[in-house]
Amino acid sequence: MIRDIGYMKILKTGPGTSIQDLGRVGFAQFGVPSSGTLDLRSFAWVNHLLQNEESDAALEICQPGLNVKFDAPTLICLGGAKVAVKLNGNVLSNPSLLPIQANDLLEIGSMEIGAVLYLGIKNGFQAEKMMNSRSWFEGITKSGSAKKEQSIPYFTIQEIPKMTASKVKLDTSWLQEKIIAAYPGPEWNLLDKDSQEKLESSEFTISDLKNRMAIQLTELLPNNIPEMATSAAFPGTVQLTSGGRLLVLMMDAQVTGGYPRILQLTEHSISLIAQKKPQEKIIFKLKKL
Amino acid sequence: MKPKFKQISPLICEFEWESNVSDLLLEEQLGFKSALEKDFSAELCELRMGFKTVSVLFSKPRIDFEIKNWLESISLEKSTHSLPEKIWEIPVCYASETGRDLESLAKTKKISVEELITLHSKPLYRLHFYGFLPGFMYLNGLPKTLHTSRKSVPDREVPVGSVAIGGVQTGIYPSSSPGGWHLIGQTPLPLFNPSLDIPVFAEVGERIKFTPITFQEFEHLKRNPKPPKFR
Repeated sequence: MIRDIGYMKILKTGPGTSIQDLGRVGFAQFGVPSSGTLDLRSFAWVNHLLQNEESDAALEICQPGLNVKFDAPTLICLGGAKVAVKLNGNVLSNPSLLPIQANDLLEIGSMEIGAVLYLGIKNGFQAEKMMNSRSWFEGITKSGSAKKEQSIPYFTIQEIPKMTASKVKLDTSWLQEKIIAAYPGPEWNLLDKDSQEKLESSEFTISDLKNRMAIQLTELLPNNIPEMATSAAFPGTVQLTSGGRLLVLMMDAQVTGGYPRILQLTEHSISLIAQKKPQEKIIFKLKKL
Repeated sequence: MKPKFKQISPLICEFEWESNVSDLLLEEQLGFKSALEKDFSAELCELRMGFKTVSVLFSKPRIDFEIKNWLESISLEKSTHSLPEKIWEIPVCYASETGRDLESLAKTKKISVEELITLHSKPLYRLHFYGFLPGFMYLNGLPKTLHTSRKSVPDREVPVGSVAIGGVQTGIYPSSSPGGWHLIGQTPLPLFNPSLDIPVFAEVGERIKFTPITFQEFEHLKRNPKPPKFR
């Protein structure tokens, strides 16, 4: 089947907009981060509604304020954060699946609930594939994050399907959960009792230092753990720095680290913490294996 | 010696050795790694090495007693690998133009720049694993005299190819990045190529030798890149 290429042009974007899929598995042996979608739950939902493959690439938006223009017909789907959306100037309430015509202008405004939005497209964005993944990562793919005037290819569709599912309501209630479930990390037992208790009983705040590599928490935790030899780290690993800072590693984090790893988030909690805005509070809850 | 086993999440587990970082331990780790690859091939998503660890990411949840039983059943003597003999030569221009901390580091160490260069370029460094940045080699073998704690304020940008010292380690930045290590030189050699199936040239276990070159040679090799040499 011959498929025509269309382009989505970025007219305006904040920092932290990128193409993501399920990430690159198997390249950590060369020091390559996992990458891939921060909120797997919302990403999977978007591809599901579009009847896409699980691994089809979507645009991940981590800051409010994105304008894009499509040059050919397609079907898109928004999921994740609850956002203000306009299509050709008209406000859309509860946007989910949206048929797109040539020259349509989509404007994403403020994020009411949540911090990460997915813009999925029928058959996925056709950004270059490097090391089995289309996920953008500086130094591996040409782009690290989306820039103004950049065009991202997709396969156009000739017929807009009948929109039976268009009224599917996006569930955003889970985005307000506060509990971050985590397994004890490899160095949990080296943490003194006071710090363990503090970690389990206190609220922690998401700081402004939040990106695809890590989320730094505002509160400090005393750290008396001796220096350790560099070992593996994974998305969802919570590191405790020598200065007592808590770093929740995300998808673009380095594959190894030298700080004690005190927690390992569950998959759901990785999605959840990614959706938290700076200043929002979380509570860790230890989970047994 | 068998490593300690820790299940971290339903998908992640880690094996840790108590011995010091050494060639011997690396041999054991590599032998252990191939045993894992052989016995769990269908369920292995990824293996990540550390100086004293091998960590496993499974593609589906594993029950820990199965792994514990496996750990008890394997015989490690047989699976021990001898490390490869290959030595890679990495040309490095040790100069102020390419390593902005070269002179200050020599001063702190109360040695001449020449002595520092000899101390750094004489040993053979063992590649233990990749991490930190794509193509960044974790090397063992930095002489004690050169051990230097990291900068308290990291540099915003370390140029690509920078050869640096941080703590008990030395390494090369395969791409430009922020970094807190002391920069003593630069290699013109590209260290990571994402368009190749195997994006790096050196394999874990092989050794690295830094060969001093002049600034003219550095400039020339930057313009006319050559594949790395080995012996």
